[in-house]
Amino acid sequence: MICENCKQRPAKVTVTQVVNGEQVNRHYCEVCAQNLHPFHVEAAHQDPLAIHQLLQNWFNVPTQESTQRAQSDQPLKCDTCDWTFRQFLNKGKFGCADCYDSFRKQLPGVFKRLHNGNTKHVGKTPGGFERVIELKKQIESLRAQMQEAVAEENFEEAATLRDEARMLEEQLKNGADSA
Amino acid sequence: MTIEKFLESSVSGWMDPRGEDSDIVMSTRIRLARNLRGYRFPLSFTENEAHQVDQLVTAALVDSAEKVGTTFSSIPMEKTTTLDRQILVEKHLISPNLAKGQIPGSVLLSEDEGISVMVNEEDHIRIQCLFPGLQLEEAYEQADTIDRIFEKELPYAFDEEFGYLTSCPTNTGTGLRASVMMHLPALTMTNQMGRIIQAIMRVGMVVRGIYGEGSEALGNVYQVSNQTTLGKTEEEILEDLQSITEQIIQKEREARETLLHSEQPVLADTLYRSLGVLTYARIISTDEAAKCLSDVRLGIDLGIITGVDVSILNECMIFMQPGFIQKYAGNSLQPNERDVFRAKMIRERLTIENKTTTKGEKPHDV
Repeated sequence: MICENCKQRPAKVTVTQVVNGEQVNRHYCEVCAQNLHPFHVEAAHQDPLAIHQLLQNWFNVPTQESTQRAQSDQPLKCDTCDWTFRQFLNKGKFGCADCYDSFRKQLPGVFKRLHNGNTKHVGKTPGGFERVIELKKQIESLRAQMQEAVAEENFEEAATLRDEARMLEEQLKNGADSA
Repeated sequence: MTIEKFLESSVSGWMDPRGEDSDIVMSTRIRLARNLRGYRFPLSFTENEAHQVDQLVTAALVDSAEKVGTTFSSIPMEKTTTLDRQILVEKHLISPNLAKGQIPGSVLLSEDEGISVMVNEEDHIRIQCLFPGLQLEEAYEQADTIDRIFEKELPYAFDEEFGYLTSCPTNTGTGLRASVMMHLPALTMTNQMGRIIQAIMRVGMVVRGIYGEGSEALGNVYQVSNQTTLGKTEEEILEDLQSITEQIIQKEREARETLLHSEQPVLADTLYRSLGVLTYARIISTDEAAKCLSDVRLGIDLGIITGVDVSILNECMIFMQPGFIQKYAGNSLQPNERDVFRAKMIRERLTIENKTTTKGEKPHDV
């Protein structure tokens, strides 16, 4: 057997680790065993493992699978990165930001378990994003006013409101791209 | 500025022992995870996307660095040797994950190494700020400044419901991980750590040994950090961690008092023996060195050992790691040769220190 780490020297040391209650044997050569234990930071290897194991245990229950299949034959998938919900559970990671949108209905269940029952962000908002929300609200209100003006056959005012809304839409477009 | 500057010295800004409770809290770290809209996450993106993200992020920070009052050096992983990457990991400047170099990424380091921004680790951007002692608010403020610089220049992936969108669902929301590195020898010696770790976990925090997870904390150094990032504001996360940290400090101080009053001669003997080992040993493993450094540090904190500067111990803790030892030796060493070299390095470092502080002054301050 060769060393799992350097894959060069023969493995002479067996390191037994208990990861999430599961016993794992690792075989290293003397050089790597010395290197890896205990200063080598293994957090990065273990963290994702733990998360995806947890997610799999929580969500790979047969009942949920069958209800999902009953709803549609297509597996739930994100179009931007092509990852399915199943893949997300297996890896314990998202493929892209759009996954959040694609799996929006399923995610609160995931977050509840990972974040102490919480499912909604209440912290900081990027500055640009606040402007975006505000612009959206302004445009909405202008549109409503425009409808009213049209209903009252006040076309001149409606045209002004339309132009204002267009200007804000333009800003939103530029702002959203550069914010 | 070249990467050499960051590799040659084992001293980073965060090792400077100052700030409140710096005898127990060695350092404070804030990490913010951020991603750019319009690019897939590093786990699924193409090499082309990786390079674009790297360029965008690097340019955004380098252009506005003057706002933070420092300059940033960009160190691309592709152009860095495996050993040099390992050294950056040992200095806590990059993560082992980035060091693997599987994805084209880089790290942007501030001059004093207090700020490091990892590009294309698990997320596009990982802002990390390291401060000495317990300084959660200060460290967060700095990370927030960097965050606002990026936010002006680049479109973040953000969602009204879920907050900052991150690659791992455990970071979603604030993307904030706040952690404190604590030296807890008295709680460990009095067998209280197991109970404390369980209590901390119950309130949504995590404790781990700083060098590796699951394993026994080497050198009695533990890292306490928040686990929840969703449904709590940044301020709440920081306040909760601050309060837990203060309670642990209190417990550690109580345990130190108990040790000091119950078994003084035995304690002094143990701690001085460790100083003896560090000063005279010819062969020393990382485990033994870490244990002895912890003992000497405790000895200084308790006023039992005098004439050794704590910052030297912090430095030894870093440079005794395998990567540094290799780098200093200038060639690859067998494990046994490494232990010999490590003993020599620590010996020399302590001797230099002794020569400069034997003027009767007591540099410790409890």
